[in-house]
Amino acid sequence: MDELERRLKAKIPGEDTGIEVRKSVCAICDPQTQCGLDLYVRDGRIIKVEGSKENPHSGGTLCSKGSATRQYVYHEDRLRTPLRRVGPRGSGEFVPISWDEALDEVVSNLQRLKAQSGPESVVFFVGYPKQMRPFVQRLALQFGTPNFCTESSTCFTAMSMAFRLVYGQMAGPDVPNTRCLLVWSANPFYANTTGARGMLDAIGRGMKLIVVDPRVTPLASRADIHLQLRPGTDGALALGMANVIIEEGLYDREFMADYSHGFAEYRDYVAQFDLARVEGITGVPAEKIRAAARLYATTGPAALMPSAAPVVHHTNGVQNYRAVFSLIGLTGNYDVAGGNRAAPFSWLEVGGAGFVTRQHEFELPRPLAELPPRVGADRFPVWADLVDQGQSMDLPRQIVSGDPYPLRTMVAFGLNHRMFPGSDHFLEALQQLEFICDIDLFATDTSRYADIVLPACSSVERSELRCYPEKYALLTEPAVAPLGESRSDTDIVFDLSQRLGLDDPLLNPLPDGGADPAATFDAALNWMFEPSGMSVAQLREHPGGMPVPAPLANPERKYRDKGFPTPTGKMELASSILQKHAAALGIDALPTYRPPRHSLEASPELAEEYPFVLNTGSRLPMFVHSRTYRLAWTRGLRPDPAADINPADATRLGIGQGDQIELATPAGAIRVLANVTELGQPGVVHMYHGCPEADVNTLLDPDYLDPISGFPGFKSLLCSVRRIDPPPARGNGHAAEAAHGNGHVADTPRDGEEVQP
Amino acid sequence: MSNAFYLDVERCSGCFACTVACMDQNDIEVREGPTAWRQVFAVETGAFPEAHLRYVSLACMHCADAPCLLACPTGALQREAGTEVVIVQAELCIGCHSCSIACPFGVPRYGADGTMQKCDLCSERLKSGLEPACVRVCPTKALRHGDPNELGLSVERKAAERLAGEG
Repeated sequence: MDELERRLKAKIPGEDTGIEVRKSVCAICDPQTQCGLDLYVRDGRIIKVEGSKENPHSGGTLCSKGSATRQYVYHEDRLRTPLRRVGPRGSGEFVPISWDEALDEVVSNLQRLKAQSGPESVVFFVGYPKQMRPFVQRLALQFGTPNFCTESSTCFTAMSMAFRLVYGQMAGPDVPNTRCLLVWSANPFYANTTGARGMLDAIGRGMKLIVVDPRVTPLASRADIHLQLRPGTDGALALGMANVIIEEGLYDREFMADYSHGFAEYRDYVAQFDLARVEGITGVPAEKIRAAARLYATTGPAALMPSAAPVVHHTNGVQNYRAVFSLIGLTGNYDVAGGNRAAPFSWLEVGGAGFVTRQHEFELPRPLAELPPRVGADRFPVWADLVDQGQSMDLPRQIVSGDPYPLRTMVAFGLNHRMFPGSDHFLEALQQLEFICDIDLFATDTSRYADIVLPACSSVERSELRCYPEKYALLTEPAVAPLGESRSDTDIVFDLSQRLGLDDPLLNPLPDGGADPAATFDAALNWMFEPSGMSVAQLREHPGGMPVPAPLANPERKYRDKGFPTPTGKMELASSILQKHAAALGIDALPTYRPPRHSLEASPELAEEYPFVLNTGSRLPMFVHSRTYRLAWTRGLRPDPAADINPADATRLGIGQGDQIELATPAGAIRVLANVTELGQPGVVHMYHGCPEADVNTLLDPDYLDPISGFPGFKSLLCSVRRIDPPPARGNGHAAEAAHGNGHVADTPRDGEEVQP
Repeated sequence: MSNAFYLDVERCSGCFACTVACMDQNDIEVREGPTAWRQVFAVETGAFPEAHLRYVSLACMHCADAPCLLACPTGALQREAGTEVVIVQAELCIGCHSCSIACPFGVPRYGADGTMQKCDLCSERLKSGLEPACVRVCPTKALRHGDPNELGLSVERKAAERLAGEG
């Protein structure tokens, strides 16, 4: 090999190799992470990816998912042309058609159904990513339907609702300045890797770490105190900690007296949670709870790190998280440096990036009050009070019942039926719609049910805005041409707006056609940027991103001057909003604890037949929802669907590593391999969601929902576990390795046995 | 100067980013060929409620006195001048697996053609001033590379800070 050949093989950028490094951003996971990408491009094709060093959030690093970007972008399942369904729904029989034909067909269906049943019969849905959401929501409202529904009906929103019910807004942990971090069921090592490095650095400088998690995660393994609670008992644990903090006089009396609403009732309620009782509910030893409560309350400033989903994926999820978040104010750590800082969202729910935009105004071009009630508004009135979207979890019910009005069509940007509890039930309901348009990156098991399928392009093929709490913003250029005829989601929104004849210069600047979608996108961003002091032109000068110019200061204790944005203007330990709906929903104004609706405590008869707690969707490092199952590099790390089961349970049931087992609930059963591991505790089975071959969401009742948020109880239901006989042949040991995935040790070490690297 | 990997086991979180970055850098097709050249192992100790979990990311150590070099009968395994990295020349490999027997870390992998392949510490990237792909990608900065003495000194410095802090 000569030198040029060696450099080409090693993909060294340079004039001699013709390899150029182009900047973009990874959108495989959520906007709290989204690492900067350096794409190695040769002849217009990505040949390698790495992280952008100048991006202060990701600092040149990526996770396993982002590292597989090349397989994501060039996957054989990528949609390359618009398609029209020709076979029965679900058959996957489609023919390619032109964009003009496809969009005209979508628009004629929308106009027809709007004329027949009103615009509210049309649902606009967005799965992932989030970047097109403001544009799709504006399109929906300008079209005349309030029914803008998203994936956020099962993620993030309920956590933010819990914060807002207590404080009126969210407040994130100030990790760099804290002395004690209480992580409440978050695992950044798997889910937000950009946050992991900063936490390790903080541990290195002596920060105390308390981790609440049902699993022994990489983070829990590094904690000073790990509270390994039973899934769904978070509220009881938080109330028990509050009891210690109040009883021992460790709370902020002045803050409670001046700034809280309902402290006396709250104090009386938490007094019921003595540690013996809390130990019984949570399974966490009383002395550990006491030690954690003291450490958090006395090591100020202390910060609390929530997570987007796990705690609110319970039937009492919002109340549980309200109990947790109450600890922040109780200990005087609200909106102080090193505690939890309140900051407005800058863009797409990323807070504290040092600027504000008119995103919210853009999303809501007309008041929702002018329109019929949103999907789920009757059933989830607290959601409707706090959230501008429909609650997607009520879609199947309303589609089937037509109550309070019929839903007849859906335009979906990334629709995945496996997101829904009772995913098979959702798919059946979906088929009652008269017309479905799905816009997606890949041909999916859900897109097979659409009438028209449109190809979207990935983040590296489009332009999008990102920002980071390090006061950094980034507006990408397409790094490579879109694959086939795929287009940016926002371009599709603008094209639909023009064909629908919407009277809206921001979505449809040239009603007679001919607008350049890239120019429309830039103009819309510039409109939203108005209060930020930034411009598209300025951002485009910096392909890898730039520090936000003159970032907004964020003073501490803003509530002293402004109060809290709650109905009483105070931190609401007793929620005025919940009080309003208390009787109708059977809920309380205080953050009361109730066990998961399906649990030994709440449904003992069910627990006799289904004795295990099933926790679905606990994160694995190589998957993010359904997005990377199809990539050989990530799938190869854990090729077969497998459930994590504790060795104590496995031994009792005669289950060995890699044996085939059945997980069953009254709703259904799936067969998976057993991954025998100490990661989870005895009595609890963890199964990752979204797997096409073993969809754990088919085991859920579609109505297993939190009455406050409408969020599904994904993280605590009941199931049975049994070994399937005979066990599969294990001649070559493949089955045993398959369950663990690449590189996991095949056998669990015996008790006390150290395995040296 | 010699080159080595260093792994801070306290920081490795088993995210597999290094494994996939290696596959991307070296165009490893996992369905057709061998497994990745860099592997991540989950090591569990103890049992509930005292279970502990650690991860270890491993690839070729590029040993100074590499047993594989002595075991290889054809000279397919060599030390690259300048980088001091242990490299394999596939065209000289006869697929005898001697290196696999000799290697204390189980590093050698064999492709569809039966010849050995393994990590070359991205030596061509090193020559261009770039880090190995696995080091660059590591989200927790657990993986590092460089001169073993300098790596050792930086670890020692941290230990000293820890000792002083605890004192």
